[in-house]
Amino acid sequence: MSPSSFQVTSRLIDDVAIIYPRGYLNNLSGENIVSECARHAQAGVRKIIVNFRDTDLINSIGISFLLTVMEDLRDAGGTLCFSGMKKAHLDTFEMLGLTKYFLLFTDEDAALRALGGGQV
Amino acid sequence: MPLGGIPEKEFVNREEELCFLRRLAGLRRDGLAANVLLLGGRGSGKTELLKQLCREVFWEGREVVPFYYSFRTAALKSATFAKDYFTRFVKQYIAFVKKEPLLADDAGTPLRRLAPLLSSEGLQWLIDAADELEEHTDGGDLYGQVLSAISAPAAAAKRGGRPVLVMLDDFSASGRLYEARQGDSPGLVSLFEESMNNRLCPHIITGSPAAGLEAIFSDPALRRETERMRLLPLPEDAACDYFTGLLRKMQIPCERRAALLLAGRVRGNPLYLRNMAKAASKMKKKVFGEDDISECYCSDIAFGETAFYWTSVLAEGIPSRGLARTVLKLLMLRLDKPGMENAERLSRVLGVRDADLGTTLDLIEANGLGLCDDPVFDDFVRALFMKQIEGRSDDDIREALGKRFGEQTDDSRFEMVIPMTDQAELVAARAVEQIGRNLSLDQDLLNSIQLALVETCINAMEHSGSYERKIRLSVVSSAERLEIAIESPGRHFSLDSLKETPVEEKLAAGKKRGWGFTLIRKTMDDVRVERVNDRTRVTLVKNIRLVRDGKALK
Repeated sequence: MSPSSFQVTSRLIDDVAIIYPRGYLNNLSGENIVSECARHAQAGVRKIIVNFRDTDLINSIGISFLLTVMEDLRDAGGTLCFSGMKKAHLDTFEMLGLTKYFLLFTDEDAALRALGGGQV
Repeated sequence: MPLGGIPEKEFVNREEELCFLRRLAGLRRDGLAANVLLLGGRGSGKTELLKQLCREVFWEGREVVPFYYSFRTAALKSATFAKDYFTRFVKQYIAFVKKEPLLADDAGTPLRRLAPLLSSEGLQWLIDAADELEEHTDGGDLYGQVLSAISAPAAAAKRGGRPVLVMLDDFSASGRLYEARQGDSPGLVSLFEESMNNRLCPHIITGSPAAGLEAIFSDPALRRETERMRLLPLPEDAACDYFTGLLRKMQIPCERRAALLLAGRVRGNPLYLRNMAKAASKMKKKVFGEDDISECYCSDIAFGETAFYWTSVLAEGIPSRGLARTVLKLLMLRLDKPGMENAERLSRVLGVRDADLGTTLDLIEANGLGLCDDPVFDDFVRALFMKQIEGRSDDDIREALGKRFGEQTDDSRFEMVIPMTDQAELVAARAVEQIGRNLSLDQDLLNSIQLALVETCINAMEHSGSYERKIRLSVVSSAERLEIAIESPGRHFSLDSLKETPVEEKLAAGKKRGWGFTLIRKTMDDVRVERVNDRTRVTLVKNIRLVRDGKALK
């Protein structure tokens, strides 16, 4: 793990928004993810994948923001998927007993397939 | 009167403290300084500092009268104490006036025999004070007796026109002054208030354990107009020079690297350094080199003056032999299994009743043995445990300590301070990453250690509430484990206060925060939270097994 400063980018494939958090996911960057997801949700997107392939470290505050995203999206009738999680990320979620609350996929394609080509 | 002490040349690295204390009488008179509560670990040189000060003030002027009193050897029955305190004061006063130290040291001479001398020196008022004390004694007025004695320096300063510098050593024992039987007069020590508030009579007060002193000074009457001065361990170079100088006096040349290693091992504690030098002399060392460190250290810790010192401290603080064994077992258990604090479990492991465990814990606390943070004391505990509980032979003990000494010398310690600012925890995480790489730690293991460290730092930053926005970290690695201590100022917390809520319950309640300590606990093998003075210290321990030719795995 070599935590670096945080960036968040995203792209839209059909009706699925894919978020790429990069670097260290903490309180500051957690807010960025929440607002990026909210931006897509306001535009009517109900399917979101957060791809953690470039995320170095997720701390407990970062996790709390992911829970916020999950809750917001669920309230709006949407689905949140995670992909590209490293072993360290998975271990963290496992330790906290949170894996069952998220849809986890090894990679982005698998998540996209699971989201059924745009069907919620 | 302690006009001996070690030679001035050997009293190193205390110039600043000594300079300030030398000027204390003048500063206090002008309202620019308060009384001084001198704090420092055992063996850090508090008593020696008072001795040096006393000697300087005694010989180098006529304006300030030094008065030194140690509660260590004092009788704590208040009537006896009052007489002793007063007598010593009068003798030291006249010794100063006449510049004849023998007058102070002559314990056998009754006070009335000094009357002609006092009179000839124009100190009739001291005779009057003695008469007043006697009246209180004859009248059975215990309060008046103690107050008269304690106030004698302040009264003398007023009558004699010279400030009196009062140095009270081992003051923690003063809390045990009693009237007829121990514990019957817990407030007697507060009678020092009047004397301490007199600006012509500055007090310098010290003793061990620090917790005992702090407890006495929780009394607002004493706390007022008192400031703390901390005596820190000798820095490496000063400790090295000190040790080398002692050996030079014993005609033993010393390799500088050996002196440095030993100084590091005893953390610059002057008492230990002195004891180790004596051990080298007793062992008739021709030269002191790296190969001699372990032998001298282990011998001194197990059978030498350091062993004697700590045995005396334990005997003084824990009078019952049965309890002393339980204390020893508990101290050893804490070394072996740090963090085991559950009372029920402790009772079971130690084989003692809950009430006895409570007494044992109280004794450890009262004698300042719980938070010693002194590796030499830890080794002494190990040696004593082997001797008294396991019944091992002297050779066995030497061998075991020597083996441990060798292992510990391989330790490497890193220290850093990070500000409480955004993402500063990443700097700490990166440092630990490099330390882990040096040890060839497995990446998964390293990730989990970094995560625990990040969480602990965040916790300190969020909850400290201190204006000192800094976190101190130390990382110690050995062949067996990696230990990270994170110290932060401000608000204290304990693990007990952190209730773990099941995930379902937490999510149902809409709580998204509060995962940090769960992560820390699940990631590390041991997590300890202690209060160290005004700081909270969280110690994270990860057991590792180094594999020389490959990765280090848990």
